[in-house]
Amino acid sequence: MARKNWWKALSVLLLLYVFIAGLTVPLTPGITTVSPSSVRTGESFTLEATGYNSRYTQGGPIRAWLKMDDEHALAAESVEVAGDRKVKAFFRMPEYLPVDRKVQDFTLVLDSEVDGASILPSAVFVTQDSIDPEMGQKAWTNSPVAQLHEHWTMTYPFRNILGETIRNTYFHVPMWFAMLFIFIASVVYSVRYLRKGDLGNDNKAEAYTRVGILFGLMGLGTGAIWAKNTWGAYWSGDVKQNMTAIALLIYFAYFVLRAVFEDPEKKARISAVYNIFAFSTLIPLIYVIPRLTDSLHPGSGGNPAFGSQDLDNTMRMVFYPAVIGWTLLGFWIANLLYRMEKIQLWLMER
Amino acid sequence: MNIFKEIGFLLHKDLRLEFRSSYAISGILLYVFSTIFIVYISFRKVQPDVWNALFWIIILFASVSAVVKSFVQENSARQLYYYSLANPVSVILSKILYNIILLLLLSLLTWLGFSFVAGNPVKDTAQFFLALLLGSVGFSITFTFISAISSKAENNATLMAILSFPLIIPILLTLIKLSANALRLMQDTGVQKDIFILLSIDLLLVGLAMVLFPFLWKD
Repeated sequence: MARKNWWKALSVLLLLYVFIAGLTVPLTPGITTVSPSSVRTGESFTLEATGYNSRYTQGGPIRAWLKMDDEHALAAESVEVAGDRKVKAFFRMPEYLPVDRKVQDFTLVLDSEVDGASILPSAVFVTQDSIDPEMGQKAWTNSPVAQLHEHWTMTYPFRNILGETIRNTYFHVPMWFAMLFIFIASVVYSVRYLRKGDLGNDNKAEAYTRVGILFGLMGLGTGAIWAKNTWGAYWSGDVKQNMTAIALLIYFAYFVLRAVFEDPEKKARISAVYNIFAFSTLIPLIYVIPRLTDSLHPGSGGNPAFGSQDLDNTMRMVFYPAVIGWTLLGFWIANLLYRMEKIQLWLMER
Repeated sequence: MNIFKEIGFLLHKDLRLEFRSSYAISGILLYVFSTIFIVYISFRKVQPDVWNALFWIIILFASVSAVVKSFVQENSARQLYYYSLANPVSVILSKILYNIILLLLLSLLTWLGFSFVAGNPVKDTAQFFLALLLGSVGFSITFTFISAISSKAENNATLMAILSFPLIIPILLTLIKLSANALRLMQDTGVQKDIFILLSIDLLLVGLAMVLFPFLWKD
């Protein structure tokens, strides 16, 4: 019993860990907004930054930079702390910038001993009154971003648009992995049916397909909620959303096909053939075409997926268990469905 | 018998049957021309982007109705006779080849007919022709295989549409992109990539059809 069913216990344990760790571990301190967000050259200004999960009043002086690129950064002349979530940095922007662009964006970098470094990309836009890169180069006093406090903490990265919704990575993304694994299992049973011809294999294939569809719908649902919070709409016609909807149509058709045939042998044979055929069209649909088209999803249109930007080491510690946990849970549900079907058949035969 | 010879014979038989009755081709042509005429009457002036979408929709529906009868036009006793004589792989391959010829003819005539009433916005004829060719191949493989599945059911025309439309979408979307490029509606540098995708989908599907068809035909 325990030797046979260990994976069910494992799935429950992993999912418990995913829920607890995924929902309780805090985010890394970050910067949500700054004001003013645009200035002119030659101005002296006080930049007011609002932090997230930050503890500015604790632990030592705070340093601030406005970074243009790797060679050019401007240090704040003084930094004043106005509470745990508010910090005011005084900057003096030179008359000319060392670029030949009218508007240049600067990244805000804050560093403190307790929070470590936090970054807000394109925080401030600087408009040049007159463009002279050579003058700018001469006038520029570079103060490189250095000696940042980097220490590892058990936190999830703070991404400006994502915020707390980054935790959905443990629920939305594993749904797709689990769906794929479950559909693969279903195809394996269909192949086995065609080779060996045992009706049990067909029932298993059907059960796995059902659960795969369930996971697909859950993936769409969690994705839609996530999209509402980050992209602004439940359905934005993103290529991955559309392709997934089509993929689900393909699998709904599988059940329509099954309903057509009376004879169980014929039903099993033809739906097994369709299942294999449908699965192989799923691969270009979900994994090839979205990568070639522009998409809002990471991993499409040349964006890296699972790069260090999306998934850091702390997140990996939860993400991979989540994938395994959800997949095992799916297999468990499919197993129950199959056994229920078997009992129903047995009751009908009596 | 050599498999290529077998395919040749079966293809020859299908073509002879078609020429003798010319029922399929004339029916489909009538279908296409009435659709084109309806589209023309309801739109009058067709913009190039609409032209592109309508063209492929007409082709899609015409192809489904052209291919759906691949396995039902001859009675089941005669089907059994073919299967006992020939290898199932050559049966499906000959049907796919026959449908490629049929669909290519069909799409060329649709292009002709549609251009006649709604104008021809195609700028890059060679590329558009390539799209038609690749489209015929992709449509033929998918629809022939699905028609083999749906011919096992009683109500096969509906089943054919339900099963094949979602499956054809990846091919159709890539084709529309390719032909939009031929109409210069967009500048796409990744044409080779699209062609490569279409070819690899076709190759995958034809391989699967060859492996799976032997399980399908025997009743």
